[in-house]
Amino acid sequence: MMTKQVRYEALVKALHGDLYRYAYWLCHEKQVAEDLVQETFLRAWRALDSLKDEKAAKSWLITILRRENARRFERKRFDMSEYEEATITDTQSVTTEQQIENRWLRDKISQLPPEYSEPLILQVLGGFSGEDIAAMLDLNKNTVMTRLFRARNQLKEALEAEPVKRGKYNG
Amino acid sequence: MDDLQFRRAIYADPNNQDAETIAAQQQDPSKKQFAKEISQLDEKIKQALHVPVPDDLCNKLILRQTLANHQVHKRKTRVHLALAASVAIVGGLMLNFIQFSSAYTNLGDYALAHVYHEQGSFENNASNQVTLASLNKKMAAFDGSFSKALGNLISADYCRFDGMKSLHLVYQGKTSPVTVFVVPKNDQLNFDSDFNDKQLFGSSLEFSHSNIIVVADKNESLDQWQQSISDTVNWSI
Repeated sequence: MMTKQVRYEALVKALHGDLYRYAYWLCHEKQVAEDLVQETFLRAWRALDSLKDEKAAKSWLITILRRENARRFERKRFDMSEYEEATITDTQSVTTEQQIENRWLRDKISQLPPEYSEPLILQVLGGFSGEDIAAMLDLNKNTVMTRLFRARNQLKEALEAEPVKRGKYNG
Repeated sequence: MDDLQFRRAIYADPNNQDAETIAAQQQDPSKKQFAKEISQLDEKIKQALHVPVPDDLCNKLILRQTLANHQVHKRKTRVHLALAASVAIVGGLMLNFIQFSSAYTNLGDYALAHVYHEQGSFENNASNQVTLASLNKKMAAFDGSFSKALGNLISADYCRFDGMKSLHLVYQGKTSPVTVFVVPKNDQLNFDSDFNDKQLFGSSLEFSHSNIIVVADKNESLDQWQQSISDTVNWSI
């Protein structure tokens, strides 16, 4: 009993950050992301005995989270299309130039179609290889590589299309 | 490796460590420059993706699991308690059943078994005598008495007749002792007026509160014993 508890707490401490970020980029909403992570870890606790290989823990948790996310849509599909998703994301005070650029890039990432953004997030945040991502998303590897290519390509083009100086010029 | 292939490989995975892509970078400085640019872009993406995680999320997750676990635990202990209680009840019932139910279903079988069990304890020619007075003292427990002695009484004692307190009388017989039981009436054993096996035979007399059972070997006349019992026994109620 105790060892299971210890394993669980270790798992939470090590992976809750990555999982929360992944959830956030899936649903673009802080509260929903938090709920998703909670549900995921609760399910993970119940099925913890089936996790044999600790190295596979991250992809295992992400698989559970994706299933949870899909279930959320089965239950009730909230219509978010009336809002600009970009305006819902982080509106906290932005001060340094780096942060401004981050925010702008976040907007661009959340505007990517989900089939492009998801592999990108898994690769950059999760550190998964093309094969891992293909297995997790149930796609073949070439498709994943193509989507990664398109995702970066779109971001790069958006970045280049943006004027060097952003912001309003008054007077 | 041509330029398009190289770009695709780098776009798909900027940290690509394929021998081919590394070689291509070393041969062509413009390719190297391109790879560097995309690497920088990737770094920016990485920073952008790093949204702040709520501080208390970790604790919330552990709390939620602890609560859920507690509930499951409580439910489990309740189930365990119920199981243990059921087992105890069944065990108790079984014990009751085994201890207080008789292995015999009728008076005759039990009487024969009882006689065989004590066969060795009584000598037909034993010298000890039980007086009519002391016999009647014991009979008082069954609200009855004998008006005169039935014969030579070797032994008169209370005993357990299938768990019931009864009077066990042993008379001197022609060849072997004759056993007479005075047994309170009871529903557990079926009344058997006549019974026998290879050696012994017996008969029961039914009175209002008690049964009197005579068991003897085949040399005895049971009718005679029955007749004399019926003639001499008196019931006070």
